[in-house]
Amino acid sequence: MSADASDLSLVRRVQRGDKGAFDALVLKYQHKLVKLVMRYVRNPAEAEDIAQEAFIKAYRALPQFRGDSAFYTWLYRIAINTAKNAVVSRDRSPIEYDLDRNNSEESYDMQGRMKDAETPEGLVLTDEIRTTVNAAIDALPEDLRTAIVLRELEGLSYEEIAAAMDCPVGTVRSRIFRAREAIDRRLREVFEGGLGRAEELG
Amino acid sequence: MNEELDSQLSAMFDDELLPQECELLARRLSRDGELKARWGRYAVMGAVIRAERGVRLNAPLAHRVSAVLLAEPELGASAAVPARRAGVRWWQPLAGGAVAAGVAAASILWLRAQVPLAPTALTAAAQPPAAAHAVNVVNINTAGAHDSYVTPPAPATRALVVPSTELANYVVAHSMFSTPVARRNLLSAFMTSDPAAAGTEEPPEDAKMDVKVDAH
Repeated sequence: MSADASDLSLVRRVQRGDKGAFDALVLKYQHKLVKLVMRYVRNPAEAEDIAQEAFIKAYRALPQFRGDSAFYTWLYRIAINTAKNAVVSRDRSPIEYDLDRNNSEESYDMQGRMKDAETPEGLVLTDEIRTTVNAAIDALPEDLRTAIVLRELEGLSYEEIAAAMDCPVGTVRSRIFRAREAIDRRLREVFEGGLGRAEELG
Repeated sequence: MNEELDSQLSAMFDDELLPQECELLARRLSRDGELKARWGRYAVMGAVIRAERGVRLNAPLAHRVSAVLLAEPELGASAAVPARRAGVRWWQPLAGGAVAAGVAAASILWLRAQVPLAPTALTAAAQPPAAAHAVNVVNINTAGAHDSYVTPPAPATRALVVPSTELANYVVAHSMFSTPVARRNLLSAFMTSDPAAAGTEEPPEDAKMDVKVDAH
C-alpha cells in the first residue's frame, strides 16, 4: 500500500483540471486545518477564514506540487504560514473594522460570517452532531468501536490495528467500514434535519 | 448505494486503498455529490472522535472554498500548456543534434556496408557480365538429366562506386553547413573526382560550381 495514494489521486485530478476533486480534499481536511489554525487565532470564524485562504493558496500552488511530501504535510505548512501572516497583519492594524470599512462589501461579508458563527442554531447543530456521533459510537459492538477509535483517535494503519486486534487486515477494513456506516445512518438524519430547519428559518 | 463502493470509499479515506483503485474512485468521488457528502461525513466523525473542540462541524467551509474556486481557471488549462512548451524548449536542441548525428552515423554505416569483401574490389571493373550467369542457367537446364533450376551464384564482388573514407568524413562534416541539395551535388562531385572511383565521366559543371560555393 502506498502512503498518501488517496490524496495523490485526488491531487492529480485537480492538476488535470478537475475542481470537484479539490472539494473532496477540502472536505477531508477542513476540520483538521481549522483546528490547526486555532492555535494561532481563538475566534472560530477567523480560523475558518484563514483556513479558507490556505485552501485557496494551496489550490493555486497545486501545479507546483510534485508529491515529494504528503499532501496534508504540504497543506499544513501553507495553513501555518497563512495563520502567522494573518496574526502579524492583525497585530499591525489592531482596529480591524473602522467606520470606513464597515461600509465596504468585504466588511459586510466578514460580519455576516461572524454572525453565522454565533448563531444559536449553528451552535446547536454542532452540538447535535457531536452528541449523535458519540451516541452512535457508544452503541457500536465493541470490535467495531475499537477499530474505528484506533483508526481515528490513534491514527493507526489497518495493519497496526490488525496486529493490535489479532485479526486479518481485511477484517479491520470491514469493521471500520461497518462502524462508519452505523454512525452515518444517524448522522445523515442530523444533517438533513439541520438543513431542513435552516430552510424553515430562512 | 453499493456496499462495495462504500467500503472502498472508507478505505480510501484512510489511505488504505490500492493506488489504481484510488484513481478510479477519485474520479467518481469528484463527480458524485452523494458520495462526496458521505466522504464529508466521514471527516465529521473523525473530528468528533478526536474531540476537536471549537471547530464548527457544520461549517460551510467547503462550500465557500468551492464558490471562490468557481472563478478560478482550471489548473489543467493554465498549467499544461506552458509545461508542454517548456518541454519542447529544452529537448529541441538535443533532438536536433541527435537527428543530425543519427543521419551521419547511418550514412557512414551505409557507406561501410557497400564496401566489398576484397579490398581490391574498389572499382567496378571486376564485375562479370550479367549474360554469363544467364548462359550458365541455360547450360544446366539443357545438359543435365534432371529438370531442375539452379540459382546462379552471387558474384563474389560488387560493381559499385565506393567513396573513400575521406569522402565520408568530409560529407559528415559538411552536412552541418550545407543544404541537402548542395550536399548531394558535393557527393556527386567527389565520387567523380575521387581517384578510387571507377567512373570516368566528367562531373557536370553545375556540380563543380556547387563544390566551389560550398567549400567556402
